[in-house]
Amino acid sequence: MLGEHAVGVMSDMGIMSLLALSAYLTLVVGRISFGQQAFFGIGAYVAALATTLAQWPLAAGLGLGMFTGAVASYALALPTLPLSGLRYAVATLAFGELVRLALQAWHFQLDLGEGMVGPAGVEGFGDIRWLLLNNVSATQYLALIAAVLLLVLLILAWFERRGLGVALRMTGHDDILAAAQGLPVRRLRLLAVAAAGALAALGGGLYAHRTTYIEPALFDPMLGVHAVGYALIGGLGTCLGPLLGVTFDLGMLEATRVFAGWRMVVFGALVAFFLRWRPRGLLDEVLVHRCAQWLRSKWRGTR
Amino acid sequence: MMRHLALMCMLLSSVASAQTSVRPALELQCASFGSGPTLECTARLKRAGEPLRNAKLTFSAHMPSMPMAHTIKSVSAIATGQPGEYRAALELEMHGLWAVQIDVSAPLRDRLVRRVRVEPCNATTHCPAQVMR
Repeated sequence: MLGEHAVGVMSDMGIMSLLALSAYLTLVVGRISFGQQAFFGIGAYVAALATTLAQWPLAAGLGLGMFTGAVASYALALPTLPLSGLRYAVATLAFGELVRLALQAWHFQLDLGEGMVGPAGVEGFGDIRWLLLNNVSATQYLALIAAVLLLVLLILAWFERRGLGVALRMTGHDDILAAAQGLPVRRLRLLAVAAAGALAALGGGLYAHRTTYIEPALFDPMLGVHAVGYALIGGLGTCLGPLLGVTFDLGMLEATRVFAGWRMVVFGALVAFFLRWRPRGLLDEVLVHRCAQWLRSKWRGTR
Repeated sequence: MMRHLALMCMLLSSVASAQTSVRPALELQCASFGSGPTLECTARLKRAGEPLRNAKLTFSAHMPSMPMAHTIKSVSAIATGQPGEYRAALELEMHGLWAVQIDVSAPLRDRLVRRVRVEPCNATTHCPAQVMR
């Protein structure tokens, strides 16, 4: 049996993987977003409002959070996607801070019989008790997070092997060349960015219900920077890359406490190292291609 | 396999059912000491006006400004001898604003969260920490 702390760390890893995958999607289409934490926050607040104040089922709350995250991400992308790399990154960072500050100013509470529930500005939004009310244990919730993550990975892996996945990568590598090949670059980027917003919001919704308490400070730029860092460390060659980055940081550095107070320094150094010597991460396209070739040759050899 | 699928369906589709039990009221006091620092918290729990006796509690904490990055392992609380009063000490990683999470597993299941600001403190004394809603 897993201990309580291990279940908590693994749940966090699953949720953070969803956020890292959302950063990965924007990186694949050639854009760096430092604002994914905003969609994570939007998803967290919307899903929590749906299950507490409206008493919706969890799936409906998460679904509404995803939809809102996708719409917000799409709306942000419409005017900002034409911006070049650095400008787009700054625009997303500014949007992230805008959302955080708006959440700090937002008060919307209702009396549900056991006290006021709902967003209360900087004091946050507590008593998101869907799991407690439905007798869902931490282990069962971990199983749900793992199932959701697995489903997301299967969908992404399926798309990556098909025309759409190749088109998205072409857009990210060289958008002028992709446009010359007849690809609808703008539409492809909008699609990827909206999907990234939905993924981040899904992670946020799951997080809000796991901790039962959220506040605007959770969604500060550090969270978005970590998400990008995980994708960059793990690699952009496959959707398993971000999971590798999360496993390394949360699973090894945080869970084992090897570096104790130096963890963030180690993490920052790793990001700098990878940007300099392996800019597309550990599992980059070349390594993934070689691994696939090796597996194919092994497979043929056994037949 | 089918059991797991059924559980997933239940988790995803069941509608929140209102619990009839009254939630416990929490009064939390915390003090920090040491450079770690260590945060010692005392929780007084009441339910329907009466002290909540023989409760099973664990304390843990996380830092809202760094979600999922600084999570303190949960610690079982011990009864102080006063009715409905429980105490636990958490070894924090740094000063700052923490969300202290109190999980009640018996006689009812609940989770209570309070924000606690832990300021730097002289190692030889206990310094009161500011507990916020």
